[in-house]
Amino acid sequence: MRRVTPDTIAVVDLAVCDRCGLCLPLCPPEAIHLELNTLTVDEATCTGCEKCVAPCPVGALAMVAYA
Amino acid sequence: MPDVDVLVVGAGPAGAVAAWQAKLAAPQLDVVLLERDPAVGSPVRCAEGVGDAGLREFVNPDGADWVSRRITDVIFEAPDDTQVLLANSGIGWILDRTKFDAHLAAEAAGAGADVRVGAEATAMSRNGDDRWHVTVKEGGRAERYRARVVIGADGVETMVGRWAGLDTRVPARDMESCAQYVLQGIDFNADAIYLQFSSAIAPGGDAWIFPKGEGVANVGLGMVALKSDGRNARQYLDDWIARRFPGGERTGSTVGGVIVHTTIAKTYADGVLIAGDAAHMINPLSGGGIVNAMKAGRLAGGTAAAAIREGDTSARRLSAYHQEWMDLLGEDHLKYYRLKQALEHMDDAFLNALAHTMNGVAPTKRTLGRVLTHALIRHPQLIPVVARFFV
Repeated sequence: MRRVTPDTIAVVDLAVCDRCGLCLPLCPPEAIHLELNTLTVDEATCTGCEKCVAPCPVGALAMVAYA
Repeated sequence: MPDVDVLVVGAGPAGAVAAWQAKLAAPQLDVVLLERDPAVGSPVRCAEGVGDAGLREFVNPDGADWVSRRITDVIFEAPDDTQVLLANSGIGWILDRTKFDAHLAAEAAGAGADVRVGAEATAMSRNGDDRWHVTVKEGGRAERYRARVVIGADGVETMVGRWAGLDTRVPARDMESCAQYVLQGIDFNADAIYLQFSSAIAPGGDAWIFPKGEGVANVGLGMVALKSDGRNARQYLDDWIARRFPGGERTGSTVGGVIVHTTIAKTYADGVLIAGDAAHMINPLSGGGIVNAMKAGRLAGGTAAAAIREGDTSARRLSAYHQEWMDLLGEDHLKYYRLKQALEHMDDAFLNALAHTMNGVAPTKRTLGRVLTHALIRHPQLIPVVARFFV
């Protein structure tokens, strides 16, 4: 579980996401889930590390401000 | 609540072979193979290439309808497009993965496994009765399975590994982001696979042409995002194809991750085995995972069956699977991984020079071994690494 609230967290654009699952093992806190053909990023767990963003083959993940 | 002996999650090559082999080893066991998609083998997230010898350990490709193309040659391409036709590259096959995976699942079903499509495992827990309780969503409703052994063959994103408390995470440098199209109406040698190495085309990975037939091929690439200039894998691919095959017609498109790492530290837990991509059992040098997955599935199915018959499905008993895998291929993958790291030192100028040198060698002597030898003459710092590789 994260100790510090991040300034930004990852969000997925489901219109672009191909559900390939590549980002799941890249996420250090395992905040990304793939279930019933839908990818979700758990806001409460994401640390804002961005490790999932650049590797997405189709650019479906981006960082957004987290309040 | 269905009570089963072996519950296999994921009906790719690892899972289908695991279910098949578990049933062959112990026909009296209840074996269920789950596939979350509506049909086995689709969508395809794969370049579909496989070597002849490994494939034949399981199935016979001669005349099979799940084969797209027999391959006799390998062509390496330098960043400047210089081609090197390798000698003695052996026989390979480009599969039709949709039909191939369906064929393996049919073998499992033929052996008596219950193959369930559109059935997705969404959670599992241990309830003190030496069984895993697995929630499976199937046709809009949730069913709870009780299983003595769960085999996680659920691919790159493995949730079974996570649920079992195993570490299946991948360092960013060891994840290749891949994109691929099926291109029609393109001009190339349909008896050869092409592999192009260039930091401008596919940084940290390579671009490929894998023939499906005359004028039709899987055309794709894998790259490491840490080395990217800001483009994603599909953008790199679009740029390569625009230059290489501007007239090609795209009839299929896929993306996915290839884990070019080494086997996870622990592939087992109480009542759990992890196999195939889920356990990072891909050859980190070639990116090939199909035969590895089948070999791991065979070991996992056999171990699960034996453990159940002995009445001991503890982590300690199931650890035999991990040891068998490491002896069979896991240790080799550690060597390949070190070699991959060493080869990352070769820049584009060096790769161009290497290709020109190779083409000065007689065609029959242009073997992979000679390519490496020439690389070493120019990069002696690689010698200790390669010496380990060949030991």
